[in-house]
Amino acid sequence: MADAAIHGHDDHAKPGFFTRWFMSTNHKDIGILYLFTGAAVGFISVLFTVYMRMELMNPGVQYMCMEGMRFVADATRECTPNGHMWNVFITYHGVLMMFFVVIPALFGGFGNYFMPLMIGAPDMAFPRMNNLSYWLYVAGTSLGVASMLSPGGNDQLGSGVGWVLYPPLSTTEAGMSMDLAIFAVHLSGASSILGAINMITTFLNMRTPGMTLHKVPLFAWSIFVTAWLILLSLPVLAGAITMLLTDRNFGTTFFDPSGGGDPILYQHILWFFGHPEVYIIILPGFGIISHVIATFSKKPVFGYLPMVYAMVAIGVLGFVVWAHHMYTVGLSLSQQSYFMLATMVIAVPTGIKVFSWIATMWGGSIEFKTPMLFALGFLFLFTVGGVTGIVLSQAALDRVYHDTYYVVAHFHYVMSLGAVFAIFAGMYYWIGKMSGRQYPEWAGKLHFFMFFIGANLTFFPQHFLGRQGMPRRYIDYPEAFAYWNHLSSYGAFLSFASFLLFIGIMFYTLFWGKRVTENNYWNPYADTLEWTLPSPPPEHTFEVLAKQEDWDHSKAH
Amino acid sequence: MPFQWQNESTKAPELSGASSFAAKGGAPLASLSLWPYRSLPRRGFVWFVGATFALISLPLFAVIGTIVLWGLLPFLLLAVGGMWYFLERSYKDGSILEQLDIWTDKITLCRHNPRGPNNTWEANPYWVSVHLHPKSGPVENYLTLKGNDREVELGAFLTPEERQNLHDQIQHILIQLR
Repeated sequence: MADAAIHGHDDHAKPGFFTRWFMSTNHKDIGILYLFTGAAVGFISVLFTVYMRMELMNPGVQYMCMEGMRFVADATRECTPNGHMWNVFITYHGVLMMFFVVIPALFGGFGNYFMPLMIGAPDMAFPRMNNLSYWLYVAGTSLGVASMLSPGGNDQLGSGVGWVLYPPLSTTEAGMSMDLAIFAVHLSGASSILGAINMITTFLNMRTPGMTLHKVPLFAWSIFVTAWLILLSLPVLAGAITMLLTDRNFGTTFFDPSGGGDPILYQHILWFFGHPEVYIIILPGFGIISHVIATFSKKPVFGYLPMVYAMVAIGVLGFVVWAHHMYTVGLSLSQQSYFMLATMVIAVPTGIKVFSWIATMWGGSIEFKTPMLFALGFLFLFTVGGVTGIVLSQAALDRVYHDTYYVVAHFHYVMSLGAVFAIFAGMYYWIGKMSGRQYPEWAGKLHFFMFFIGANLTFFPQHFLGRQGMPRRYIDYPEAFAYWNHLSSYGAFLSFASFLLFIGIMFYTLFWGKRVTENNYWNPYADTLEWTLPSPPPEHTFEVLAKQEDWDHSKAH
Repeated sequence: MPFQWQNESTKAPELSGASSFAAKGGAPLASLSLWPYRSLPRRGFVWFVGATFALISLPLFAVIGTIVLWGLLPFLLLAVGGMWYFLERSYKDGSILEQLDIWTDKITLCRHNPRGPNNTWEANPYWVSVHLHPKSGPVENYLTLKGNDREVELGAFLTPEERQNLHDQIQHILIQLR
């Protein structure tokens, strides 16, 4: 029989620095690790964009030269355009952002930290597997960076095949860089799948007594749906890139017509993963935004159940629309009609969410704190991106817009602006909870306005460029596109400046921010379980089961 | 209801005047089972794994009749299998069962651990005392039984209210037996 441990109250000593951060099995510590690593990789990835926007600022090639990378334009020296370098930049910007920045920050970071707290679980179901997921992610990131710096195609470093890794480009790219990139995606996939299994098990089996599925907070729901999408779609990607690997190295011909394979089939399975992937990126953002809007409108979220089922519907629909990314590969008319209709159907659950957020604000007492500003920014930008999405879903129109900057503008509005605004909203909303120190409000607001203006200035003109017919993925363009490109680059610089400001705000907050003393420093409408804990929460939380009145605010009983 | 008496309720049986001796092979007068709460019913497990299996099979329709099917299939099966395995593992992690049996002359507590041997404790109920430690234990309202020179815990995984409730019920039974 388990002997009683009455006096063993504070039985274990505080772990040392190495033990706490390198061998961590605590979901809150792992969440913080994910956030920091995601931010670091995000910084690298953002640096790429700044360099790319520098290059695109003026017609002609000034910086990415065969003679070497330049950081200052110099008209007196010869500059042969280096298309490979450009391709490498767009590829690694895409790969890093898709696999190593947004998923780790939203799903790994906020998901790990807050999902168990919101459902009143003492930790994840498998804490050591959680640690494994994190370190697989770090290893994957390292391989990704190594891939960029190792010998690739065109006798240069890195691979320039685009983040989608389409064959035959990816199967014929020389050097080992491409293989390293595939391994990087493998590791990131393994990390995400293990993480997803962990999250799903935690969500399903470790909810506190009384918390039925229809009472779980929306952020926890969004993490569950995201985890499910990861579980369903990433194995498909793993299979696809494994076949790429064997095509490259072992002479198989899965995607090589000369041996009976079909490169279009790769596109099908890539997008079977790729479309759910974009929902994987945005869904946790939906969860965060719901809580932020409810908190700062001082009203419970409007239409809780429709919100939940809209997320589930978006998740399920995400699996049956993949070929709208490939209208131009020669699909039959009926295939195109189906994918067009199915895609437009997604506007219904998305609309339910957007209108429910608006209805939450309706008649509320709205307070424009930084997280709320970011949530409103999210609402606007995501809606703009959604509307251009409806335009692009039209197979006929897609003939014109395919692979133009219109597409670039569209997916940056939904993902870059949507997901990133949600990350910032979450950071400002929860930093006091996570660190025990509060950010300076004026600085947060300044960050918001700089970023909101900068991001719109960057991407809105790209709609015009796309409509003018400027194709994506090129290092240079005719002079006719110069005006909007110039403007777009200014936007990128402003956004980058706001990102530097954000890093500054975060460090200021962590070291010198005002101490938070209350458990709930917003208002009673921040009503999930993490707000019943001290800020920062103790190392172990909810080892004693949470009381129902702490989280159940429904008026049904 | 993560604990239950043999009469299939959370109400302790009334024992005044009853007696049954373990030494003579009698049935226990009261027996109590306790287990940690798990939020996923078995039915939910079936639904979840079924839905996962159905949706993950979708991409296979696109590649039926091509060699690519065989490249994908192992990964998909691995994912569903992994999910299944880890959900089962989570059930097993929570399969702690504490069984308390009370006779007139004997009280036994057996804890079935998910991995590892069972722990058992037995004593004479006449000398057993039940204690509730509102603050000093590892959890609020820590419940222990003391007897036979050992102090053992009971239902550390329940809610504080449930332990309070159990304390009163067991106390009542012990008094009736004396």
